Amino acid sequence: MKNIFIILLVTLGFCACTSKNDINIEKESTQKQIVTTKKMITENNSNDSFDDNFNEDFGEDFENESLKVEEVFDPLSSYNRLITNFNDKVFIYALNPTAKGYAYLFPETFRSGISNFFNNLMFPLRFTNNLLQLKFQNSVEELGRFLVNTTFGLAGFMDPAKTELGWKQHDEDFGQTLGFYGVGEGFHVVLPFLGPSNLRDIVGLTADSYISALSTTGSSDLQYKIPNNQTQNLTITGVNIVNSTSLRLGLYESLKKDAFDLYPYLRDLYNQRRNTLIKE
Amino acid sequence: MKNILKILLVALFSISSLFALEKEEIKTVMTKKIDASISIIKQKNLTTQEKGQKIIKIIDEVFDYRKMALLSLGRDAWVSATKEQKIRYLKAFEINLKNSYIDKLSLYTDQKVKIIDLESTFTQKSKKERIQLTSELIGQSKTYKVNYLFYKNKTRGWVIWDINLAGTSIITTTRKQYSGLLKQKSLEEMISEIEAKNKING
Repeated sequence: MKNIFIILLVTLGFCACTSKNDINIEKESTQKQIVTTKKMITENNSNDSFDDNFNEDFGEDFENESLKVEEVFDPLSSYNRLITNFNDKVFIYALNPTAKGYAYLFPETFRSGISNFFNNLMFPLRFTNNLLQLKFQNSVEELGRFLVNTTFGLAGFMDPAKTELGWKQHDEDFGQTLGFYGVGEGFHVVLPFLGPSNLRDIVGLTADSYISALSTTGSSDLQYKIPNNQTQNLTITGVNIVNSTSLRLGLYESLKKDAFDLYPYLRDLYNQRRNTLIKE
Repeated sequence: MKNILKILLVALFSISSLFALEKEEIKTVMTKKIDASISIIKQKNLTTQEKGQKIIKIIDEVFDYRKMALLSLGRDAWVSATKEQKIRYLKAFEINLKNSYIDKLSLYTDQKVKIIDLESTFTQKSKKERIQLTSELIGQSKTYKVNYLFYKNKTRGWVIWDINLAGTSIITTTRKQYSGLLKQKSLEEMISEIEAKNKING
């Protein structure tokens, strides 16, 4: 054992010594050579240093669907640009200052309580759409979440179903359900005040507002609608939007800084996100 | 004696693996890096810019900025670029990405990061392995998925070539933006525009 160790040490030491000696002896003469060869290499291969692994860089491996740039079918692009601009101004001059003031007045715990409350009331929407997508386990969990949070979670202000039982919320809407069954997006439509959407998701929004407890649509058929008239409907929607904006202050501005052209940038982010949500 | 030998051997092996991230280490190394980054974000005596610089030092070695830049630009534009344009573009891209990252740090409001899993996939044609580290950014009211996409670089080992934030890919988004710009502008103009943006945001 000792011998092995000694041999190992000696070889290591030897290696170090020889290289040291080498350097000492030939230091001056080689240094110049090294410099000149290095120069030559960089000059000759300067292009190669960028283009080596060329195929690896751009190989089929990375050219998957998401990186393929295809022409977007966008018949409403000039209208969409206009509304994107309008929404941007609404956000900067109205929604954002309101949300900032609101966030200043109420602590985050309170605001996330309000957000939980609204989320809990959106239960029929998630329940139905999980069922429609045959995600039965998720529907059961949603039902469980609603019962637990409405009772033990103080009418939904708290989320003990998640914190205590680990039941996560399964966000699904009718637009996603349509996507799940293979309905394409149609084309992009930017809605005033509401932002990016598309033909499929507009149909989805209409169906969702019929089921939702927070809108008046379909109140003659469904008994659980909370607002009694349009004014109450708008007030609830307004509070919900201001509250949720107050929980992500700065996000829009930060995203906007990354944009070279705001409209196609937001359109792309929306499409990518929706496609991921549909696949999940 | 045996112990010394063991230590020596371990030391030798660790030297050789110092420079490349191994697959088995991704989870622990990334957890450490994310934890270290969050503790920097929480330091109150630093400006966002200072925090950003410190964090970038921590994460630099696991990012392949060059690969990100090339994939964002696309093969055609890269081939048509002059040597000088390539150098300028690579630099501008990296600064742009880092600026954007530093800016996002100011959005942090006490969320927790949970590393979920390491998923392995193989590319369709050449059966090369790709790895995805899935994680969650857990806030008081919302939880976002953050996935780090790794590929194996010949010399550097496993490195990140894309990040997927809440269902949107950084590289796909940049690629679409650049290809949109290149329809209206020359590559030269586009690089200048990125550089101009870097000056404003930097």
